[in-house]
Amino acid sequence: MADAEISPAQSPSNRLEEILDASDRIEELSDSENDYEDMGSVTQEEQANIDYLESVRIPIIDELKTETSEVQDDTLEVVLPFLEGNPNDYPLNIFGIPQLQREKHIAFLKQALGDYPSGFALLDASRPWLVYWSLQGLSALYYDISQYRERVIHTFSLAQHPTGGYGGGFGQLPHLAATYAAILSLAMAGEIEAYESINRKNMWHYLGQMKQPDGGFTMAAGGEEDIRGAFCALVVMSLLHIPLELPPDAPARQHGLTSFTDGLGEWISKCQSFDGGMSAAPGNEAHGAYAFCGLGCLAIIGPPKETLNKYLNIDTLIHWLAARQCSPEGGYNGRTNKLVDGCYSHWVGGCWSIVEAATTSDMWNRSALTRYILSGCQFKRGGLIDKPGKRADAYHTCYNLAGLSATQHTYTYEATMQIDLGGSALDAPYYWKLDGVHEEGKVWDETDHIAEVHPIFVVPFKAAHACRKYFEEKEGF
Amino acid sequence: MPIFYHDDPEWSDIEPLPQDDGGLHPLAAIAYADEYSEAMGYLRAVMAKNEFSQRVLGLTEHIISMNPAHYTVWLYRSRTLSELKASLHDEIAWLNPTALKHLKNYQIWHHRQTIIDGINSPKGEHEFIATMLEQDSKNYHVWSYRQWLVKRFGLFDDKEEMRWTEDMIHADVRNNSAWNHRWFLVVGGRDGKTLPENVVKREMDYAKSAIRKAPQNQSPWNYLKGIVREAKLPVSTLKDFALEFADMRRPDDIYSSHALDLLADIYAEEENGKEEAKKALELLASKYDPIRAHYWNFRKGLLDQSGVAA
Repeated sequence: MADAEISPAQSPSNRLEEILDASDRIEELSDSENDYEDMGSVTQEEQANIDYLESVRIPIIDELKTETSEVQDDTLEVVLPFLEGNPNDYPLNIFGIPQLQREKHIAFLKQALGDYPSGFALLDASRPWLVYWSLQGLSALYYDISQYRERVIHTFSLAQHPTGGYGGGFGQLPHLAATYAAILSLAMAGEIEAYESINRKNMWHYLGQMKQPDGGFTMAAGGEEDIRGAFCALVVMSLLHIPLELPPDAPARQHGLTSFTDGLGEWISKCQSFDGGMSAAPGNEAHGAYAFCGLGCLAIIGPPKETLNKYLNIDTLIHWLAARQCSPEGGYNGRTNKLVDGCYSHWVGGCWSIVEAATTSDMWNRSALTRYILSGCQFKRGGLIDKPGKRADAYHTCYNLAGLSATQHTYTYEATMQIDLGGSALDAPYYWKLDGVHEEGKVWDETDHIAEVHPIFVVPFKAAHACRKYFEEKEGF
Repeated sequence: MPIFYHDDPEWSDIEPLPQDDGGLHPLAAIAYADEYSEAMGYLRAVMAKNEFSQRVLGLTEHIISMNPAHYTVWLYRSRTLSELKASLHDEIAWLNPTALKHLKNYQIWHHRQTIIDGINSPKGEHEFIATMLEQDSKNYHVWSYRQWLVKRFGLFDDKEEMRWTEDMIHADVRNNSAWNHRWFLVVGGRDGKTLPENVVKREMDYAKSAIRKAPQNQSPWNYLKGIVREAKLPVSTLKDFALEFADMRRPDDIYSSHALDLLADIYAEEENGKEEAKKALELLASKYDPIRAHYWNFRKGLLDQSGVAA
């Protein structure tokens, strides 16, 4: 599990994996190690993989051993057999890479939407996340989620707080992470009944309570202020077409602020660290998940080319993002000198379309990431994972798939594009369009194809557009 | 032993508010254990009537022991402590073992911050943080909390704080969290004021000696470049140092891809340096950091475009 995923809770699979991992890892390694290379029985596909890994390896290795280099070496030892060979015996695509196990992942995510035994009480505050991750993962796999519509609406009508926003469930206090997951889930479920289940006027007041005098947002009343808050709030505001003006009862008004965006770009700017990355709050260490939140937020405030250039040092940002791709693993890590983790396939991989909209295209290695996801992150019983040896959860499944989608598609931001919505506050995210499939260096075929994902909202395009359109056309709250 | 409230006389005045799931079966529903379910029913009931009492502290402690990721319970506990003007030192004593059990939990750290803010002293916190970092030397919450402590109690120039940070870097020169903390102490506390010359020199020397220990370690390179940028020095200041690890006349003898990367920036700013800059970027793309070939090529493209360094 990534250490700073935007969920408020630690996944219980994290605890379970500690118990279950050891035996599993041994089992998996015994399939793969020592068997084929020494026996001279390397298949053609395996040899091609080994050659590829060699071609992306940094040839310089420092002799000094520290804790960091030791866990990195241990990790590589576990990961490499999966990138070289095919220990899970998956069918291979035409590029000799394990095919996407679509049906297994669908089954896993459907199960994630189902019932949990009592030992999962730890997830009680994160149920909106489970719903969002599963619905988005299923959509990415081209699975029709309309059968869940009524239950999505029902689930979130229970979690909606009487004073606005959503909590983790019935009787829980409102929280911006839960609110974010709830609104994205309702947008995916779609149609009037889902939209009308949201109390937008109360939402406006609730968001007003989260706005801070320094321009940022807290996650909850009396809770922490960080860049997740800013991103989650802006996503909700844009999708629900919430007025930019702070409600009269917003405490930030007493400090002279009048708009939700007052001081926001400046606050995000302070989250850019000395190495170019972005952190949870000013002064903290740069981190991939927070980078996506920061870029996503700026891409809602205005066209990325304008806002990224205005508030960030783009040269150092790109340098830092590029450095997150691990060699030779191909997947991303979240911080300098940390380990590869499948969830950053999205948190970092997803930053590229936003950055490329502000600069130029094709700055990252899509093939290497595709290989890491398909070869290293598919759990044999379904679902996707952090890295070989870990267990699947809805979080890693959703964000590996979103990352895989990012490797397969290119999106462009077209300020002049004719759209049937927009022209009002926070409309920048509706000028994105799918350019097409990315062909260069492609190592996936039709069986591995993932649906396009909106680069800012991380839901299907049509879900985001239909939601915004509904609220633009609606009069009053 | 499970704890129940329904036959506890202390709670006889409370009618619990059970979870109401209404008609349809909700998604991702949890089959709560009776103990958890009942305790949550009592919590909803006391929250509904805004009760802040000693028994509420007991109830929140009970729920936290079953689900430490429950932000609602933490927030309500925090509010209760403040309304009751309860002993914050007792709270910290209770919190310590709880935090050690749940290393990656967001709520515990924010709660701790609220309590220490109320206590108005960082005493004992450094020892506690040390214990936490022994478990996970890069724990994001712990480092962020440490930064809050520094800011809240004005420890930017505290010698002990700097010495501790150096120890952390010394223990693992690749610990980027520790490098970030050093930056926070040296630059973060200055609010944009210019760094004094002697500090610039000290920091550059410090980063350079770390690089010499392991030239392929990116953390001190980022730090070094950051200091030069912060001090508004020309990047060429670092030319001789970069050449120690990557001399383009000996392209088979490169000791750090980061030195090549830096040299590309340095050459790009030199008059007639473009060709050398290109060579450095090509070496990175083809041999020394090929996974990022697209990025190095993008940088090459920038050279052609403008004549200004990337």
